[in-house]
Amino acid sequence: MEALRSHSRTRRDRLIVTRRVIIFLPLLITLVSPAAWAASANEAAPSIERAEPETFGTNTPLGRLSYQAGRGVRVGKTGLVVGGFTTAEVERLEEGDSRGGLEELSFLVSLKPIPFVHLFTELGLGPLMELERGRKGVHSDPQFEVDRLYLDLEARDALNLRFGKFLTPIGRWNLAPIEPLVWTTSEPVIVDEVFDETMTGAMLHGVGFPLDGALSYSLYGTFLNPLDPDADAPPAKRSTGAHLEWASLRGWSVGASYWASQRRNGEWNHLGGADLLWQPHARVEVSGETVFGEGSREDGVLWGLYAQTVVEMVRTLYLVGRYERFDPPGVKRAVNLFDLGLVWEPVPYLRLKADYLIADHLNEFSEPGFRMSLSLLF
Amino acid sequence: MVTRLLGLTLTLIVLAPSSLVGQEDRVAVIVHPQRHAALSVDEVAQIYLRRKRFWDDGAVIVPLNLPSQAPLRALFSRLVLDQTETRLADYWNRQYFYGIFPPATLASTEAVRRYVAADPNAIGYVPVSEVDGSVRVILHLE
Repeated sequence: MEALRSHSRTRRDRLIVTRRVIIFLPLLITLVSPAAWAASANEAAPSIERAEPETFGTNTPLGRLSYQAGRGVRVGKTGLVVGGFTTAEVERLEEGDSRGGLEELSFLVSLKPIPFVHLFTELGLGPLMELERGRKGVHSDPQFEVDRLYLDLEARDALNLRFGKFLTPIGRWNLAPIEPLVWTTSEPVIVDEVFDETMTGAMLHGVGFPLDGALSYSLYGTFLNPLDPDADAPPAKRSTGAHLEWASLRGWSVGASYWASQRRNGEWNHLGGADLLWQPHARVEVSGETVFGEGSREDGVLWGLYAQTVVEMVRTLYLVGRYERFDPPGVKRAVNLFDLGLVWEPVPYLRLKADYLIADHLNEFSEPGFRMSLSLLF
Repeated sequence: MVTRLLGLTLTLIVLAPSSLVGQEDRVAVIVHPQRHAALSVDEVAQIYLRRKRFWDDGAVIVPLNLPSQAPLRALFSRLVLDQTETRLADYWNRQYFYGIFPPATLASTEAVRRYVAADPNAIGYVPVSEVDGSVRVILHLE
């Protein structure tokens, strides 16, 4: 009964969120539109036609409606671009489960009506279709989700202010965790199990350019009620943190993260992390992350890391290998994971992946087995 | 006579390719004449990767590119960005996930020069031979 009530509450919350988004988006568009047209007119002052790559397009009263594969639909000179991504996945796990289906259909909506304002949202609808061994028929119970929704006020390269719901800037993976952008079908445990994937609040962020690279920072904290929180992994009561990254133009970057989260009992947990990307050759990429401290899910000290190598064997075909170790809080046994796979990327917006995850013992954090996915940016 | 002809031929062989390369492979990075910024190759790279988005006076930089099949764009990418097309595509996929898009594309170097001449916030690149008084060269690449 309680589960039913909780489900009903979740649905009600989603409806409220949906209503807020439906009200908020057009309101913002209306507010900024006059400025938008003025700015667009100014930008188009040289009146020289652009020659953007276009998969197909048509002329409309709003201007040229132009679609480019993997880059969305651009609506004239309004500054509005709508795109997205989706993934189909099948898996056969060592424990015997077999599943497959079409995951979320996610939309990326970007509105940059005037130079210093950027509204961005990621909206998901899913799961669209699920098949499972031992369960009859195709199941579909798509829910609407606001994965991200924020407003960026851009004053200078070094000074930008973000309000809303955004990805928690810890490490590298969590900043681009979607299937079309990663090389394996499963997420590292330290990204999935330790901290809140998103947060609702404000973030001061920017970038400077000393020497031959870009030094970027993010300082953030929650002060709003979580927007459309994940019911399966409730976020920390409050959280705050910082991320610093040095990205060289010569193919490497290093980062450091700090995150503090307040648990429901009022105590604060502290988590530190470091990340690395190294591209020693045009066909080789090495990356890794580590975290240590206390996460938001459980009390107690944890640490974990992953190291991943991607090698382009022949054009468009990649070999991927990843090692992970996760030492959970408390007396639970540490787990070692190995993920080995192949990725075929015939065009930059399409990835076909197949990999096998091996664990040194069965554990609650990962499900070893074979997985395949086809992901598309559109 | 034969020696002179041989000498002349050798001189032509040695000099001709380099002079041709000098004319065709020199790229000028141009801005509006009112803009007096001095930029390094690395700073131009940061602009074309859309990491550096503001001029020092706070105006938004409008970087301009040529179509992907243009030989001058390939040369510019090699000289400035020094990354393979695959790497760049991966980079722009990550940026797309945040609603950040590659620089605007214009159809020709003539269009780039005209745009830069008309917009004080624009930056573009053209062959050195196409530079005229309507724009200011801030960097030569070769």
